[in-house]
Amino acid sequence: MKTRSYTKWLFVLPAVIVVAALFIYPIFSSLFFSMTSKNLIRPRYSFLGLKNYKDILSDPKFWAAFLNSLKWTVYSLLGQILVGFTAALALNRVKLFKGMYKTLLIIPWAFPSIVIAFSWTWILNGVYGILPNLLVKWKIYETAPQFLTEKNLAFIVLVLINIWFGAPMIMVNVLSALQTVPQDQYEAAKIDGASALQSFQHITIPHIKLVMGLLVVLRTVWIFNNFDLIYLITGGGPAGSTQTVPLYAYEMGWGTKLLGKSSAVTVLLFIFLMSVCIIYFTIMNCWEREENK
Amino acid sequence: MRKKILSAMLSLTMLCTALSGCGSSAAKEESKAPEQNSSEARGSEEKAEANAELEGDITFWHSFTQGPRLETIQEAADKFMEEHPKVTIKIETFSWNDFYTKWTTGLASGNVPDMSTALVGQVSEMINSDAIIPLNGLIDDIGRDKFYENALNELSVDGNNYAVPLYSHAMVMWVRKDLLEKNNLEVPKTWDELYEEAKALTKDGIYGLSFPCGSTDFQATNFLNFYVKGAGGSLLTDDLKANLTSDLAIEGINYWLKVYKDCSPKDSINYNVLDQATLYYQGKTAFDFNSGFQISGVAANSPDLLDYVDCYPIPTIKGTEQKGITTSNQPLVIWKNSKHPEICEAFIKTLYEEDTYVKFLHSVPVGMLPAIKGIEDSEAYKEDPTIQKFAHAEEVISSQIPGGTAIGFEHGPSVQAGILTNQHVIEEMFQDIITNGTDVKTAAKEAEDKLNSLMEAATQ
Repeated sequence: MKTRSYTKWLFVLPAVIVVAALFIYPIFSSLFFSMTSKNLIRPRYSFLGLKNYKDILSDPKFWAAFLNSLKWTVYSLLGQILVGFTAALALNRVKLFKGMYKTLLIIPWAFPSIVIAFSWTWILNGVYGILPNLLVKWKIYETAPQFLTEKNLAFIVLVLINIWFGAPMIMVNVLSALQTVPQDQYEAAKIDGASALQSFQHITIPHIKLVMGLLVVLRTVWIFNNFDLIYLITGGGPAGSTQTVPLYAYEMGWGTKLLGKSSAVTVLLFIFLMSVCIIYFTIMNCWEREENK
Repeated sequence: MRKKILSAMLSLTMLCTALSGCGSSAAKEESKAPEQNSSEARGSEEKAEANAELEGDITFWHSFTQGPRLETIQEAADKFMEEHPKVTIKIETFSWNDFYTKWTTGLASGNVPDMSTALVGQVSEMINSDAIIPLNGLIDDIGRDKFYENALNELSVDGNNYAVPLYSHAMVMWVRKDLLEKNNLEVPKTWDELYEEAKALTKDGIYGLSFPCGSTDFQATNFLNFYVKGAGGSLLTDDLKANLTSDLAIEGINYWLKVYKDCSPKDSINYNVLDQATLYYQGKTAFDFNSGFQISGVAANSPDLLDYVDCYPIPTIKGTEQKGITTSNQPLVIWKNSKHPEICEAFIKTLYEEDTYVKFLHSVPVGMLPAIKGIEDSEAYKEDPTIQKFAHAEEVISSQIPGGTAIGFEHGPSVQAGILTNQHVIEEMFQDIITNGTDVKTAAKEAEDKLNSLMEAATQ
C-alpha cells in the first residue's frame, strides 16, 4: 500500500504562511473595513453594511476617476505594446551593437519612478523647463505650453511618459520570445513563397502570442493600479483631470481619512481587475487549447 | 508517573511566570505612573532625581530637513545623550507634507514617535485623536511668562497646553527692491496697488506675483486668508463652519483669480510652497508672500539678489492697518504612546537653553524668530551677520508675531481650522474655477459644503 508523504507540504508551508499574511489578510481586512465607518486616526468605528459602496458608486468624482483610469490604461497599454513590439522587431534584426541598443532602450525601466517623475516635471516646467523654453525659442509656440497644467494636455503628457517608461519592458519580453522562434520555419515559408507579412502572421504571431497575452494581463493590472507616476507628476490635478481610481482611494483614505470608504474603493478596484483578468485568462486558455489541438 | 511529575513542574513554572509577569507589569505600571504625571505634579527634588536617572530610548520626528537646522538639533541630541549616557535619542526627519501622512497612518498602526514637531493646524487634530499629552508642567518649568500669549493659546484646549512653541514666524510681503526702483514703483500698501504693480512687472521673463494653488499644499488657502483676515474677516464662521461664500471671501477669490490671470505663471496652478518660493529665490517673481525663510532661499539660489530683497507688511483692502496677521508658532509635542515622556520633556527643556536656542535660531537667521521673549534683544542673538543685514525685515516680521494666529485660529484652536488647511479643498476650488471655468460663487458654495461635511465628520 502506498503511504502519503506530507514532507512536501512542510516545505511549502513557509511560503503559504507568507502569502496568507501578505495577501489574504490585507484583502480580508479591506473587505471588513469597507463595511465600517473606520477613520484613519480614530480608534472607534461602527458597522455600516454596504453604505460606503452606495456612497462611492453615487459619487461623480469616482466615476470620473474610473473613466480616467480606463483611458489611462487603454492608451498606455496600446502605446507601450506598439512601441515595445516595434522596438523588439527592429532589435531582432539588428546584428551590430545589439547589446548596446538593448541597454539604451531599457534605461527608462531601470530608473525609480521618483527620479522619472521629478526629471519630467523639471523638463516640462512651464517657467524654467527645457522643453517649453526650447519650443518658444524655436518659435513653435508663442508662450511656454502648459504641459502639466492644462487639463487635456496634462493627461496626454502623462500617458506619453508612461509609454516611454513601460515600453522597454514589453520590448525585452517580446524580444526574448522572438528569439525562440525556429529560424527554419521562416526559411521553409520563404521556400514556399510566403510574403514577409504572411510569415509574420502565421509564424511570428503564434509563437509570441502567449507571451504577449501574459504581458497584457500583467501590464493592465500594473497600469490600472499605477499611483506613483501620476501622484508625483500632477497629483491628480489640475482639478481632478488626471485623477485615477488609486489616487481617488488615496485621497479618500489619507486625505479625508475615511479609511472605510477608501477600503470600499479598493475592493471595487479588486473586483474590477479580477474580472478583467478572468476574461484575459479565458481568452489565453482558448489560445492554448487551439494550439494543442 | 514521570509524565505527571513533568506536567506538574511545567504547570508550576507557567504559573510562576504568569505571576512574575503580573508582578513586573504591576511594577512597571507603578514606575510609569509618575512618568505620566510628570508634567503635572512635579516636586523639584523628585524631578532632579528623575533627571539624574534618565534612562531609555526615544524617537524624535522632525521636519527640519535643511542642513544647518538638522545639524543643530542633532548636536543638541548628542549633547543630551552625553549628559545622560543611558538615554538614546533617535532622530527621523520628514518633509512637512510627508509628516502629516506619517503621523496619521502611524497613529492607526501605533507607530508614532515619543516626541515630534507639528504644524499648528495639526495639533488640534492630534488633541482630538487623544494622541498627545499636555505639557503644562514643562511650560511652567521653562517659564510660562516667557512665551507670547497668542502662541500658547493656539496650542491649548481647556486650559491645557498641548504643545510648546519652538520658534515663530509671520507671513509678510517680499519685494524685489531693484525691480520697483527700475520701474519707479513704491512698495504697495493696498491689494489693488499690488495687483497693478505686479501686472506692470510681469514682463521680460519676470512674473509680478505667482498665485499657487497646487492640491498637495495649502498655499491658496494661505493667500485667500491674507486677503480675508487682513480685512478683519475669517474663513471660519463664529460657530466654526467654513465661510467661503461671504462677500469678503468671494472678493478675495476673485482677486486671486485676477492675479493668476495677469501676473502669475500658469504652471502655478500645481505649485506647492517650495515651487512658489523657488520662483522668488531664482529672481523670477517680483513679489511673494512668505516668512523670513525667503532670505536663506535667496542666499542659496541667487546670492547676487540678496541686496535687493526685503519685506513689508501684507497689503490690505484700503491700505489701513492689518486686522489680522497669519503667524506660525512651530510646536513641539509629546505623544501619548511615549514610554518616556520625562526624557522628552528634559530634552525639550535643553533646546530652550540660551546657547542652544540661539544657535538653533541662527541656523535659519530671520527665518526662525524666537518664541521666547527677550532673546531678540540678547547680544548673542543680534551678532549674526544675516540678522544685522536684514534688520528691517526682522523688525517687520517680529512686529507681526505678537498679534497673529495660524489660519482659522482667530476663533481659537479647533479641528475645523486644521481641516481648512489639511484637506486642500480651497486649492481644488481654485483649480476647478481656473480649469473648468466653474462660476466663482458655485465653486465657493461647493467647497464650503465639502469643508463643512468634513468638519462635521471630524467632530462627530
